[in-house]
Amino acid sequence: MKSKKRIETAMNLGTPDRVPVMCQLSTGHYFINSGISPIDIWFTSEGFAEALVRLQKNYKFDGILINLPGRDPDYKKYILNIEEKADEFVVKWKNGCFTIVPRNDNPHYYQPDGSRHFPSFDDLNPEKLFYVEPWDITEISYPYKWGFENEVRSFTDFFPPYHADTIKIVKEKTDGLISIHSEVFSPWSQFLELLNYENALMAIMDDPEKVKACLERLTLGAIELAKLHAKENVDAILISSAFAGAGLISREHYSEFVLPYEKRIIKEVHEEFNIPIYTHTCGSIGDRLDLMMETGTQGIDTLDPPPLGTVDLEEAKKTLTGKVFIKGNIDPVNTLLYGNKKQIEEDVLWRLKTGKTGGGYILSSACSIAPNTPPENIQLISELAEKYGAY
Amino acid sequence: MHEIEELLKQLAQRIIDGKKDDAISLTNRLLELNYPPKKILDDGLLPGMDVVGVRFRDNIIFVPQVLISARAMKSSLAILEPLLSEAKIEGAGTVVIGTVKGDIHDIGKNIVAMMLRSNGFKVIDLGIDTSIEKFVDAIHRENPQIIGMSALLTTTMVYMKLVIERIKQDSLPVKVMIGGAPISRNFADQIGADAYAKNASEAVMVARELIGIKDRNLHE
Repeated sequence: MKSKKRIETAMNLGTPDRVPVMCQLSTGHYFINSGISPIDIWFTSEGFAEALVRLQKNYKFDGILINLPGRDPDYKKYILNIEEKADEFVVKWKNGCFTIVPRNDNPHYYQPDGSRHFPSFDDLNPEKLFYVEPWDITEISYPYKWGFENEVRSFTDFFPPYHADTIKIVKEKTDGLISIHSEVFSPWSQFLELLNYENALMAIMDDPEKVKACLERLTLGAIELAKLHAKENVDAILISSAFAGAGLISREHYSEFVLPYEKRIIKEVHEEFNIPIYTHTCGSIGDRLDLMMETGTQGIDTLDPPPLGTVDLEEAKKTLTGKVFIKGNIDPVNTLLYGNKKQIEEDVLWRLKTGKTGGGYILSSACSIAPNTPPENIQLISELAEKYGAY
Repeated sequence: MHEIEELLKQLAQRIIDGKKDDAISLTNRLLELNYPPKKILDDGLLPGMDVVGVRFRDNIIFVPQVLISARAMKSSLAILEPLLSEAKIEGAGTVVIGTVKGDIHDIGKNIVAMMLRSNGFKVIDLGIDTSIEKFVDAIHRENPQIIGMSALLTTTMVYMKLVIERIKQDSLPVKVMIGGAPISRNFADQIGADAYAKNASEAVMVARELIGIKDRNLHE
């Protein structure tokens, strides 16, 4: 069975030839291990696409998650200079701002004085919101402008033409053999990224109705983007809803500020496209798997085990089997980063045995794989799945 | 006296409810009645924050509720701090705190900093994306008893180990306390941290233990 079919079968809650493997890697891991310059990976569609494909091959993953948007091919015209240091690059922009690109971690964009700018909740007019991209090459502006563009794009033509470039290149490079997934940010995540988390979380206490008006608007952009990805024939769409777990908000707030908006995205995309949509939420979600399923999601990603999160895979299988597919549950820190070969084998084999029962399981790290995780530890996952993951 | 007791009770409740404007009014009213600033802190603000800490620890309330309580507390403290300083009331100790390099998430760290300040600690907040050098410089500059490190991401928590290695290598006389969503006691032991705090209210208790202060009994 080909990789693409293997994942498709698991996403359809079936039993492929063996348990498929697909992990999400941190940006820093691509920087360290792909052999491509961090500058090219972060700032170009071609560089990131090549890094995604190289590491998919190295680790024999059955799928690729494209979790950065395509980049403006003319980005270089905004650069003043690039300073190369031992452990990082400093990209100085003509507007006086700068981006620090570590050789092993996520880049960040800063104002000339080294600060990061966020709009205030009082300043927000919900009508001016449509979509917020946390991984643009500049900071999040309000009203939102892409990269160094001067004008706010019309909501009828909001996503720039290069936005899907990485998807197109990865699809071309993988020749239809690998399952290609794209990412759309949950309205809740967009709202948190827009205001900075602390201000956003206080906003739901101060003026919940205005927050809901903002989320309504951000839902429209997420629907539009998901449909654009579906038109590019990705094999699945991931809703990134990282900060909706019990580490931050209650079940009641989840029901109020997360569930209805993700539900609407899934419903409206499904009215037009027959494409799997699944949800990535980090940390403690053991208490809200039922609410996550109410969104209509077809799969739940990460399922962080203790101590990172609260999900016991055996319990989760009882709740989720036959309803949604499961992707995840290997501890990326204590097992993959710090564990020895024996520990990794034990951990992965237990998950293979537990997860494959009843089908609908994709073996994966729970959250992203840390930058300095030894490649041989990741290779071991696929080796074990090939050897012991057969149905 | 009855009026003061009633006002203190109301102040504690407004802190619990996160009502900033009410907390400011009540603090000013108590000062007008010549109630000592230190006693407003001890008898009104701290009992309120203690309840918040316990409810947060027990998953009765979550981060948004804690944040608005902390905001109310901060507003009242802003009125009291100059008066406390004039009266030369000494703090519990000094904590240098930061989110580790690579991580730009500051919410957990901010809550811990606020709770520590609320409990009399002097807190030097190094902000986000804090490098080893920034921690070490701050130790030399501020002479803290405790370094607090926070991380939200599984990809950045590993940086804590590098900071601890450097502190040990340089024999710096500080205790290290760590926390954050993906952090566990096992991880703290594994990287050689002196203490781990599961949440902000536990962080206060742990900090007090680390510098030998007997803790108040936290209960509702």
